[in-house]
Amino acid sequence: MKNSCSSVSRLLDRYFDHEATKKERIFVERHLTRCSDCQERLNLMEGLRASLRKPVEEALEKETFPWVWEKIEREIRLGKRPSWRESLRSWLDMTPLLRRKVWIPAVVTAVIFILVTAPILFKKSPSYLERSVVEYVESQTYNVMVYESEKAKVTVIWLFEGPDEESSPS
Amino acid sequence: MISRCQQGDQGAFKELFDQYHKRVYRIAYGVVRQREDALDIVQEVFIKLFRTIKNFKGKSNFYTYLYRVAMNQAIDYSRKMRKAPFLSLDQEEGFQPADIADRRPDHLASQKQFEERVGRAMGSLPEDQRATLIFREIEGLSYQEIAEAMRCSVGTVMSRLHYGRMKLRESLKEEWKGRGEK
Repeated sequence: MKNSCSSVSRLLDRYFDHEATKKERIFVERHLTRCSDCQERLNLMEGLRASLRKPVEEALEKETFPWVWEKIEREIRLGKRPSWRESLRSWLDMTPLLRRKVWIPAVVTAVIFILVTAPILFKKSPSYLERSVVEYVESQTYNVMVYESEKAKVTVIWLFEGPDEESSPS
Repeated sequence: MISRCQQGDQGAFKELFDQYHKRVYRIAYGVVRQREDALDIVQEVFIKLFRTIKNFKGKSNFYTYLYRVAMNQAIDYSRKMRKAPFLSLDQEEGFQPADIADRRPDHLASQKQFEERVGRAMGSLPEDQRATLIFREIEGLSYQEIAEAMRCSVGTVMSRLHYGRMKLRESLKEEWKGRGEK
């Protein structure tokens, strides 16, 4: 492809579709007079259009739409309510073409949100309601204090050598 | 007429059907390329339309709304039926020139075969490019109308048309050359 062809490349579509401005049309037409490649491209675009349109028009010409309205009318009379998916899609007015693009980021966002919030929501906070027992026993030699936690199965024993002295827990 | 349809008036809905069923058929046939399937799609589109027309808020033209519903339904249908109406060029079992000798003008496809080939080549395109090409080439919608029907920008429409046509051109240029020489 020549350099000038690449500059015409996008314009050629708009020219072909009658969407180019007057200035663009003149530019493309000038180019076409001296470029057989782009002329050929334009011919191929015309050929493709005809090949896409012709079978459809031929089918439509022959078509009598047998019983189509009657079937629609019967369905309407039956008055089936649309499924929740149909209603939702209609309400959101989504096309399959859009659906993929909408749901991918939506699902990714939802998954990230769940991953971030789940550990916070389900994090185990330390419970202060565990049952525990504290006993204090006085004797002539040692005073003893015993702390027992039922759930964690922890027992701490303090020995007091004298009335005012404390030993470290054992 | 639309507001009467929204109130459930079946007479108005029949008028709507008479006015638009051919357009819907063209879209459907453009996607599935099978008569029976296209008729099924027309039927489904209008049943769905009757049930959901209340949701049409009138922000866009009704016919672009209808085109969107029709294209939506046709694509869904072709996915559901798994008919793959357009086989990819690599999968094609029919017309596939095996060597250079087969590409001689005397072996080249007739107009019908070329149309068939174009239809198959369309199947190898991504759905958004295929839908854009159907709107433009079969229905002759403007870029603005296509953008409205597909809920995208005009720039996106231009890009889809450009790349869609480019891929079709690449797939079909040999056959096209052959037809020219014939």
